[in-house]
Amino acid sequence: MFLKRSLFICLCPFIFGQLSINGEIKPMAMFNISDKKQMNLPFRFGELRMGYTMGDFDLLVNSALEHRWGKNQSPTFQLREAYATWFPSWGEIKFGKQIHAWGVADGNNPTDNLNPYDYYYMFLQGADRKIGSLSLSVISYWNNWQLEGVIIPSHIANRLPFNEPEFPFQIPIEPNEYEKNENTLEYGFQLKKVIGETDIGISYFDGYDRSFSLLGIDTLNIVQLSPKFGYRSTSIIGLNVVTFIKDFTLRVESALFSTKNDYEAKWYNYLDAKADYIQYVIQIEYRMENSKTIGAQLIGNNILKASGNTLDLSSMNMTKLNTNNFIPGMGTPFAMISNKSLLVAGSNRFFDDDLEFNYNVLFNLENPGQLFGFSLEYLLSDNWFINVSTSYFIGNNDPINRFEQLEDYSNTQFQLSYTF
Amino acid sequence: MKNYFIILILFFSTIYAQNGLEIATMVDERSIPKDIISKTTMLLTNKKGKTRTSTILSKSSNNGSQQILWFLSPSDDKGVAFLKIEYENKSDEMRMWLPAFKKVRRISSSKKGDSFMGSDLSYEDMTSRSLADNSYKRLNDDMIDGKDCFLLEVLPNENVKSTYSKHITWIDKNSMIAVQEESYDLGGQLRKKKKFYFDSISGYNVINKIFVEDVKKNHTTTLILEDIKVDSGLEQSLFQEKNLKRLPSN
Repeated sequence: MFLKRSLFICLCPFIFGQLSINGEIKPMAMFNISDKKQMNLPFRFGELRMGYTMGDFDLLVNSALEHRWGKNQSPTFQLREAYATWFPSWGEIKFGKQIHAWGVADGNNPTDNLNPYDYYYMFLQGADRKIGSLSLSVISYWNNWQLEGVIIPSHIANRLPFNEPEFPFQIPIEPNEYEKNENTLEYGFQLKKVIGETDIGISYFDGYDRSFSLLGIDTLNIVQLSPKFGYRSTSIIGLNVVTFIKDFTLRVESALFSTKNDYEAKWYNYLDAKADYIQYVIQIEYRMENSKTIGAQLIGNNILKASGNTLDLSSMNMTKLNTNNFIPGMGTPFAMISNKSLLVAGSNRFFDDDLEFNYNVLFNLENPGQLFGFSLEYLLSDNWFINVSTSYFIGNNDPINRFEQLEDYSNTQFQLSYTF
Repeated sequence: MKNYFIILILFFSTIYAQNGLEIATMVDERSIPKDIISKTTMLLTNKKGKTRTSTILSKSSNNGSQQILWFLSPSDDKGVAFLKIEYENKSDEMRMWLPAFKKVRRISSSKKGDSFMGSDLSYEDMTSRSLADNSYKRLNDDMIDGKDCFLLEVLPNENVKSTYSKHITWIDKNSMIAVQEESYDLGGQLRKKKKFYFDSISGYNVINKIFVEDVKKNHTTTLILEDIKVDSGLEQSLFQEKNLKRLPSN
């Protein structure tokens, strides 16, 4: 009797909670524009989100099935997020594998470095291109103030596509192993304030680069020169502003990165690299009548200073690190393509809102290079959509030019999606 | 009997003597709930008869000047939430929670003509109309669906930014609720026809159905409000950004 009663008491909260399940099935095919051949890069075939609400507590599990077309390929399961949230009266506390979203600009957020990126999905938007990390997040709301603190116990790196001839950037070296400090704890906070028609926020993050870099060379290895790769320690101070000027919305985001190689060298030649760089996004948007929107983003990446030593991997000679050969290991992925670019994007709806047309044009302002992209999404019925999108890159025959490297990646995608 | 007759004459003379502003004031001052909770079904129908249905949980207070709503369906919109706070001396504050982006996005309140989530209702249609922001002219009374109505011409003042040049509003004399309205664009052309239906709930006349036709687009929106609860004692703290992120359990 006692056992039954105890079991009933234990099960009560679960019985009276609310379970919600939703997701999408979205098979997709991608074709190279130049040779019309199908590109066999991975894509998320389906996603499933399960939520459970019980009093002030929520549980969320977000999973995906990744697939790539081709022989002998089978789908792989991805647990993208699994976290619990407690909603006390003053805010929220989240713990588990989760994706965070900092920053106020759309798509390109220099201040948002809490999660690594999945480079296979770098042309997607929002949480879709990020990888969840085990973390604790606390948000407190107090009148017009908002304070958020995040602790990530262990560093996680970007997922980079190695040995992928169809991917636009070929990574010259795939390290066998990465050097890591014993303690890779990361933490950050952001403070936001609403001042009339302006939202202003400052943020700080202390962690490790998401992309690897050369930390040193084990010259004691007599068989061959052995480069050591790992992740530099980086701290970021961020600023976010959203304000309205007549019919225009201005979103400004900027981050100052200070990075250094603080790996405790165990080998003979430790590269004491140090650098400061700044990334910024200035976004201006305008909404026209009938919900048409047009917006522009100026995206910038400036290496302010770089010092120390590095190895020229092509000649295998030691060289001084400077602002020209320094490569950032953190920040918005678009800053990897160009140091200064202008993105113009807009959307419009047709056929009684059944057809949504989105377009974007990216101009490299430093070297020749453009990206032209558009997507058409048609609502077939309440839960069925069909989407056709194209990304077309134009370079300048210079093999070092990122847009030239991206030319072969120009593609058209067809996707059918069903949401439930 | 004589006294009764005099009172009746006085009553009718008062009614007929009322000008547009006085009628609008009576509408504004009618007894309304402190707050309303409803589950709303929004049915969008295009000119080919194709429909799209959404369900929304809405909580509002202060005659709709503070409103928070969560989309429950369709599945691709589930979890999207919207917060609106109207201010008298400054621009309204509007924020949207976009679960796919995990972001609360502050949106401009200056484009009042924008459609709300693809419906025929604009943000201006969803905003309480301030008495001082308009001038009112009484037209000849009219009958609508068997209801004896005041007919008002409502003209937004020149200093007010509106997407409409005027509204013609039918006000039921018994309930002092607008039951029909025609809204004209800035070119003076008829843009929208709206019909409002109401029911008595806990002693208040509460709107439970709204039909909007965008004449120009030949598109209609029907809002059906169900499970209506009034005076639930909603706290001010509900109308905050933090509550956008979570669908309420009740």
